[in-house]
Amino acid sequence: MARILTIEDDAVTAREIAAELQAAGNQVDCVDDGRAGLTRALEGGYDAITLDRMLPGMDGLEVVSELRRAGVDTPVLMISALSDVDARVRGLRAGGDDYLTKPFAPEEMAARVEVLLRRGGGVRETSLRVGDLDLDLIARVARRGDAVLDLLPLEFRLLEYLMRHAGQVLTRTMIFEAVWGYHFDPGTNVIDVHIGRLRRKVDAGGVAPLIHTVRGCGYAMRAP
Amino acid sequence: MNGADARSRRDDLSGRWRSSTKRLILVYGAFFVAWTVVLIGAIRWQTASYLDGIVDSILEQRLRFLSSVERARLPALLAATTQLDLRGLMASGLFDAQGRYVAGDIDHLPEGLAIDGVVHPLPEGVQRISGERASRMHAVALKLDDGSVMLLARDYRVVDQVGTIIRSGLLWALSLTLVPGLLGGYLLSRGPLRRVRRIETAIEPVMRGDLGARLPVSGRRDELDMLAAIVNRMLDQIERLLGEVKGVSDSIAHDLRTPLTRLRTQLHRVQQLGDAGDPRSELVERCIVEADALLDRFRALLRISELEDIGRRAGFGVVDLGETLHRVHELYVPLAEEKGVSFVLDAGTLPPLRADGHLLFEAIGNLVDNAIKFAPYGGHVVLAAAADDGRVAIDVADDGSGIPVGERDAVLRRFYRSNASGAAQAGGHGLGLPLVAAIARLHGYAFSIGDNAPHGTRMTLRCWTSDEWEPTHA
Repeated sequence: MARILTIEDDAVTAREIAAELQAAGNQVDCVDDGRAGLTRALEGGYDAITLDRMLPGMDGLEVVSELRRAGVDTPVLMISALSDVDARVRGLRAGGDDYLTKPFAPEEMAARVEVLLRRGGGVRETSLRVGDLDLDLIARVARRGDAVLDLLPLEFRLLEYLMRHAGQVLTRTMIFEAVWGYHFDPGTNVIDVHIGRLRRKVDAGGVAPLIHTVRGCGYAMRAP
Repeated sequence: MNGADARSRRDDLSGRWRSSTKRLILVYGAFFVAWTVVLIGAIRWQTASYLDGIVDSILEQRLRFLSSVERARLPALLAATTQLDLRGLMASGLFDAQGRYVAGDIDHLPEGLAIDGVVHPLPEGVQRISGERASRMHAVALKLDDGSVMLLARDYRVVDQVGTIIRSGLLWALSLTLVPGLLGGYLLSRGPLRRVRRIETAIEPVMRGDLGARLPVSGRRDELDMLAAIVNRMLDQIERLLGEVKGVSDSIAHDLRTPLTRLRTQLHRVQQLGDAGDPRSELVERCIVEADALLDRFRALLRISELEDIGRRAGFGVVDLGETLHRVHELYVPLAEEKGVSFVLDAGTLPPLRADGHLLFEAIGNLVDNAIKFAPYGGHVVLAAAADDGRVAIDVADDGSGIPVGERDAVLRRFYRSNASGAAQAGGHGLGLPLVAAIARLHGYAFSIGDNAPHGTRMTLRCWTSDEWEPTHA
């Protein structure tokens, strides 16, 4: 069970965040003031922090900057009503690890926190494995069982992202941001189409499916 | 755009349109010429009548005098009269009762001249013995007591010469008045015309939708300045009202997003609680899809407003356009293939652009998404880019049904969906092209919609390269 600190001054939003994260099996502490939030975060013991951008007492940007100055590297998800890219860039530069715009779907927030919680420690793997699916990151080769998969470079990147976060729910926005590197909603069903094509290659021929659709939310790669 | 070009050609100031000053001067000139012609005619007619009277009375007086002298002295007197008339205007002749020549410098009676002592015009003149013949004469013939006939005639040339002098004098006067008047008027009209052209240039951004532009006011406080000031006040008011309307729609979108997101969350929870085979789950799923579509619209709407309001520059940098196009192509190829549309990238070596990379990708992506939506099954979409004269033109062309010329400005307005191109059926929400237009405005790029031969739409973004770009363009 992970311990998460939610620093949020809007009571309704704080309740929603806590409910969603608790439903995923986490323990959540809520603080509604920037300065008090910083104190709690510095005390340590948290696995992740959700941090509102505009807070009484101390601005969210200052909170995360102070945390990083103090050497605390707990992953921080910045949550803000400011949707423009400049605000996002400032949030990430100050030390935030991910950025989410209000209003947000709670499952999107939970998915992002989950990714932060399972963030690797910076060790670069040379291969990834989910079930009988192998991805050789050096040779750039994907195998399902004994069969080599014929993947385009983009499909390889997409599969790598799904496999790195195996077992986690990934929303379409998260996939687009991570694989394409752009921060906006690409619209239509363009991500679904890419996943569909990848699925036809990875889960072809009656094998147990590895790529699963999470209804109303996104996708997850799970070993059978 | 073609429609706008045609309109601009139609309204070209240097074309059919003429300045009111020029028109006034031309009308004034025409009246002046007409009046002068009438004046010349009247003066000439009066002068001619007056001189006619003088000529006729001279003839009558001489006739009276000569008819009263002794018959035997008459030939000598006629000869003396001719000699005394140094200018040779007078002519005379004396004929016996049988009409035979007796004396004078005319040896025959003109045909058709009545011998009645009354002065008559002789349009053909009379030939003298010397052979000289005046073109026009007035003549009088009288039968004397002994039956002989005396003829007196006077050349009419003097009257014609006087008429010519009067006419040329008045024509000179006319030209001296008219030429400087027309020239001065033309020069005077050029000043206001230049200012009207400046106003035309200044109002072009307004016609393109930039309501922040204003007409130049010179400070002379003349009629044009008054007009420009009135239009500027009108633009202030329009801008304020549009801002209010936009503000209200943005506020609605902003305020509705949070409850709509919560509604979607509740639906998601309901869905999670349902069993996999429960038909109600499908219903909830459809509700979530609808809620997502609504949220997408609000998001796009607020994003356009954000782009229009902030004019941000923070994300601007040097962007590798070739790489961006390649990534857009990579993203949308599968979508096109799913729809049975061929999607081709046609770009050579391109110079880097000064742009916000995220926004540029979003704009091109929107154009491609749009083109794939409207291309028919088996159709073609081409994403092309070429450098041209310091700028780069990015073209996205499809072979769908196209956008009618009259709707090409309208499709850039928020929520407008062209019926002709089937936007509603294609699932467009009428915010994609306005978003592209907002991104283009932010960069100072020109965005245009045209035809793609033989049918379909060609959307073009003309971008500044990183060398050409200046902050004033944006």
